Amino acid sequence: MSDLRFEELRGEEVTYAIHRQDRTFLPSREHCPLDPSRPGGERTEIPFPSFEIAVFDNRFPAYEAPSGAAEVVVYTDDHDASFATLAPERAEDLMWVWRHRYMELGAREDVDYVYIFENRGVEVGVTLHHPHGQIYGYPFLPPVPRLELEADRRLGGCAPCALLRRELEEGQRVLIENDAAVVYVPYAARWSYEAHVVMREHRASLLECEPEELRLLASALQRLTRGYDALFDRPFPYVMAVHQAPTVSAPRPRAEAAGQGHLHVEFYPPLRTAEKLKYLAGSEQGAGAFISDTLPEESAARLREAIARAG
Amino acid sequence: MAGKPPDARPEGGDEHSPRGQQEEAERIGPLTLARHVKDDGRALILYTREPREGR
Repeated sequence: MSDLRFEELRGEEVTYAIHRQDRTFLPSREHCPLDPSRPGGERTEIPFPSFEIAVFDNRFPAYEAPSGAAEVVVYTDDHDASFATLAPERAEDLMWVWRHRYMELGAREDVDYVYIFENRGVEVGVTLHHPHGQIYGYPFLPPVPRLELEADRRLGGCAPCALLRRELEEGQRVLIENDAAVVYVPYAARWSYEAHVVMREHRASLLECEPEELRLLASALQRLTRGYDALFDRPFPYVMAVHQAPTVSAPRPRAEAAGQGHLHVEFYPPLRTAEKLKYLAGSEQGAGAFISDTLPEESAARLREAIARAG
Repeated sequence: MAGKPPDARPEGGDEHSPRGQQEEAERIGPLTLARHVKDDGRALILYTREPREGR
């Protein structure tokens, strides 16, 4: 069981999950715990010879009942696939799985925020290469969604709605548009190739999306990630973060947070060139002030070209 | 939307809570769910487009 401590200087929770120190770390391909369990082979986390999408409780959870949740979402039984290379139908199915997990975990009294994410690449600390994501059910409202709610208050309404309008008006950082989602490098991107995938209509969470919106969200996400891979002609590392409304229950002190938010997916890629990584160093860690080596408009132009090339 | 998300069940109402009857086929959109319990007690859910025999 993890331990939570409140860091007073920064006003945020720190989680101590010391049992995770011994978690599986970059196993060889033949010992992948996320592969299916094939006859005569090792018994893996998924004891079936094949599967489509699997979700299970993390063996090394940062959070677990009665203080949150930690789940693993395996996108496919194909070890060599990636989110970008999934069949479109499978990517669409994954949106439904995300939606289901948001609903079930968010219904729990011990989960205040359902966070769906993917770490891709050793550059962002991935420990298993098999295509998968994770879900944390935080027993508190984490700092980033808390700041997004503060942005709503500062801007006098839904901040993602306002920022989307600005990006569409200016246009120069927009990468992809369809009827349901818009993808852009944000005006004040912190990472060189940061991109946000934002629902056109105000949707607090996946639960409010129509089926066609889920399909188009998956399509936009795949076009972006294929473009990422084409940018430097290599598997592109990123953190993919799905932001939705908090699920704080009504009797709790932070009940005002429930029901707010605007479904969007943020990508934080650490590469600033084909070979160079952006490190969070003195300014970013000690002062909390990002310093970027690239202009969002120039990054957007490069990404648009890569997305067109990837098709 | 206020409070916990099950209050916002989508049109069609095909999503079941975890307290739903596990003997019934659960569906979410185009997917069928099969709930399992692993040997060590952890939950495992398999999502498939089409129901499969023996799961």
